[in-house]
Amino acid sequence: MNAVAYQNSSVKKKRHFDVAKPAGISLVVLAMMPLVIMPLLSIFIFGFSKGPIHFWEALVNPAAIFSLKLSLITSTVATVCNVIFGLIAAWVMTKYEFRGDSALMIIISLPTAIPTAVAGFALLLLWGPFGLLGRFLEDTDWQIMFTTAAIILANIFVTFPLAFGTIKPAMENFDTNLEDAAETMGASRWQTFRYVVLPSLRSALITGALLTFARSIGEFGSTIMVSGNMMMKTQTAPLYIYARYNDGDVEAANAIAIVLAIISFAIFSLIMIFRKRLER
Amino acid sequence: MARPMVMTLFPDTQAFAQRSTDAQPALSVRNLTKRFGNEMVLNDVSFNVAEGESLVLLGPSGSGKSTTLRIIAGLEQPDSGEVILHEREIENLRARDRNVGVIFQNYALFPEMTVAENIAFGLKIRGVSSRKRLEVVDRLLEMIGLGEQRNKKPRHISGGQQQRVAIARALAYEPEVLLFDESFSALDPHTRVGLRREIRQLLRKLRVPALFITHDQEEAMELGDHIAILNKGRLEQIGTPQEIYNDPQTEFVATFLGAANVLKGEWQDGLICLDSGYYVVPPHEAFDIHITDGERVKIIFRPEDVLLSTIVGVAESPYHLGEGEVTEVKFTGATEAVTIRLLNTQLRPSRPQLVTSISEPKGKEFFIKALRTKWDARRIRLSPGDRVSISLKSHKLLRGEC
Repeated sequence: MNAVAYQNSSVKKKRHFDVAKPAGISLVVLAMMPLVIMPLLSIFIFGFSKGPIHFWEALVNPAAIFSLKLSLITSTVATVCNVIFGLIAAWVMTKYEFRGDSALMIIISLPTAIPTAVAGFALLLLWGPFGLLGRFLEDTDWQIMFTTAAIILANIFVTFPLAFGTIKPAMENFDTNLEDAAETMGASRWQTFRYVVLPSLRSALITGALLTFARSIGEFGSTIMVSGNMMMKTQTAPLYIYARYNDGDVEAANAIAIVLAIISFAIFSLIMIFRKRLER
Repeated sequence: MARPMVMTLFPDTQAFAQRSTDAQPALSVRNLTKRFGNEMVLNDVSFNVAEGESLVLLGPSGSGKSTTLRIIAGLEQPDSGEVILHEREIENLRARDRNVGVIFQNYALFPEMTVAENIAFGLKIRGVSSRKRLEVVDRLLEMIGLGEQRNKKPRHISGGQQQRVAIARALAYEPEVLLFDESFSALDPHTRVGLRREIRQLLRKLRVPALFITHDQEEAMELGDHIAILNKGRLEQIGTPQEIYNDPQTEFVATFLGAANVLKGEWQDGLICLDSGYYVVPPHEAFDIHITDGERVKIIFRPEDVLLSTIVGVAESPYHLGEGEVTEVKFTGATEAVTIRLLNTQLRPSRPQLVTSISEPKGKEFFIKALRTKWDARRIRLSPGDRVSISLKSHKLLRGEC
């Protein structure tokens, strides 16, 4: 029955020209043009419009270099922190059942739903000069807000659930028989984790790290709240783009935008590769 | 490590052979009890495995056999009872300190390690030098015939090969006992039979004690020097395959290992009144023991022990059960399967002579399964409707509800 029905439908498709197909495809491509493709193309077109020398000069500007470096460093630190945290959290949430585990699950996932500006503002209210905890820091040499630490903290907050989200399903799929096997063979908990569990999670860890990094390096909303946006001090690459553009220096903004876009493309391609491996 | 490891190079059978001279059992399980919530998973289970011997724990799913294995391996804690491995009480040790080798149902090979790395893992954990590890791995790979697959990941080799790797991996660190957890169920029948033979030979050679968990009776017969039958957490019977098959102590054992006819009824005035309301003549030995009227009895016999004859009323063997009517004859190749409806046997009131009558049964009628050899089938041809006399070459009389 099914086979017959299937045959019929394929015959039908061949005989009648289906208008919906080319029309649908055209519609999607047309929508993508102004929404995604053209904006991305324009940064490259504008960036190189005055020739590669202008682009290069805008790029090697010390403030530009600094902002890129700062973005890379803060994103890297945030990524390392969140991957380690995500790994531990995934372990706890997968292995143990306890009272309030679903509440904890919601709290871990919450940052995805919070607007980044709100996240930054919340951090200010906690660590800022008049903040709940920040006021105790006021008389000390320790300051968190408007420093590199603040940027890292904001990045961690905003990207909190990303690594966790990729590691947890992988941990759930992990065959606990393997742990039993390692244990009967004489492995300690740590050895089991190190030699058996961790290698199986490698793809998930890398994907999680890439997602976190990609999200961190472009973070704007929370960073602008907590960093103070001080050039050569706390200005990350996205903030630099915004500041240059506001000053009317479109070329400088454009050069860094191109670099950020290329980094994002690279990370995106890597994520696609590791996603495939995860599915295997 | 609780015990100094004797790291001889595998396959050096010396260490195993030495242990075997002891009269003590290699593995001893005593009064093991385990509950999961209200459910009694293991109820006072005890057994021994002698040095170099293999014991099969046979039982249906939920009988507690896997729990027993997990307790011995240290992956589960018993509520009470002892596990003694080479005179060392291990029930309170962590799994990693017990020095047992487990071959898991799905083999549990480490997917990110190569075949060679999998086999070497136990030695690596024990801090054996990489040169020695390599030597052991080489020997084991040669033994299981997978030298060419050494650098492959487990997912790139066949199920049978994975099974061999799992065994090699467990043998590498010279465990004191090998535990096989339904290790053959995932293989296709052809591979399974071949591998079982290999493992049997290997175990004979190494003389390492082994415990197999299975629900497959054929596997149990082939692999076990002894078989222990578990049912609902209780050990029903333990013995050699012959003992278990020929002399089952409970109905469960008789029906779980091989096919069996079970006639249930109660003793009534020198006859057995079956639950169907029909009577059968008890076997001779029933008169040697005192059975009171109303006591429950069971006659258990194998289909191949049923002897059929067309001459009504003539006993051809020690025990003439009664008469019946053939309802089905099925030729299966090597044997012929006959189903017989058991008829009522009664004492004629005037003379103590047995007669057979057809009357309405009170309960469910008993149908007897018989297996006949080609020779018998040709000698006495039967077809549905034929009246036959049923004798038993061998049978078992059980008292009570067991």
